[in-house]
Amino acid sequence: MAHSALNEEQALIEGLKTGNEQSYKEAVRTFTPGMLAVARFYLDHSSAEEIVQDCWVTVIDAVQKFEGRSGLKTWLHRIVANRCKNRLRNSKREVPTDFSDTLEPELADRFNSKGRWDLPPKLQFHDSADSLMENGALSDCLDKHLSALPEAQRSALMLYEAHQHKSDDVCNILDVSASNLRVLLHRARQKIFLMVETFQETGEC
Amino acid sequence: MLMCRDLAVIASDYIDGELPVFQKMSVKMHLLMCRDCRTFIGNLRASTDLMKAHSSAQADKELIRRIDERVAEALREGPQNPASRDTE
Repeated sequence: MAHSALNEEQALIEGLKTGNEQSYKEAVRTFTPGMLAVARFYLDHSSAEEIVQDCWVTVIDAVQKFEGRSGLKTWLHRIVANRCKNRLRNSKREVPTDFSDTLEPELADRFNSKGRWDLPPKLQFHDSADSLMENGALSDCLDKHLSALPEAQRSALMLYEAHQHKSDDVCNILDVSASNLRVLLHRARQKIFLMVETFQETGEC
Repeated sequence: MLMCRDLAVIASDYIDGELPVFQKMSVKMHLLMCRDCRTFIGNLRASTDLMKAHSSAQADKELIRRIDERVAEALREGPQNPASRDTE
């Protein structure tokens, strides 16, 4: 983390420790999406929202003992993960996750028996990510496909890409092995790739 | 010899720099010879960047409002946070 970002985080932590409501508002807006991504890995939508709300109330006390050994984001994500795991333990539920195939079936079908492309990608995605995102329809389509990803894949993708956790942290928070994290990330990326490809070729989502 | 399908399996590991040196060299050799795989890797990378750019990932406004309310209430109730009283 850059020096100024570290200072900003330190100021935010101090604000949280002194119970400053504005600091809580800022932290809630910054960290809730990631916390929700963690909770959705373990729980259904409404339970995940409930856990995240409860966690924020817990943070008011817990932050007094926060020593900064990890970043604030990682600390918050671990709190959420631990709460979710406790809830699952109590309900004796398990998170069903499929790590069996590395290739998306839709992509796997595009190779011949010799392992060469039968249906190679036709178009190159020339535009930069920023200019692609200016396309509102594509952005909506991305939203739709992200919501349709299996929870485990979406959480892994969100934590790794959007919230830029290191692999080790994601494995820790989601309780998955490094190799299973690689599978989750790759499956999710292939789905996004297939979506963008369809969108660029047909203009349809 | 690395085939296109094999490369598709390890494409994310290649993009993230997670491959062992030997495998990384095999991918690079393959990419030199195979335009389709160059396009695939380029597009997969672009999709990943797109996902990052999209990371605005806003939580539901209604959820944020509920959390704000609960936090404000818990802060007002106070005993869990005596420090806040000292600053007011």
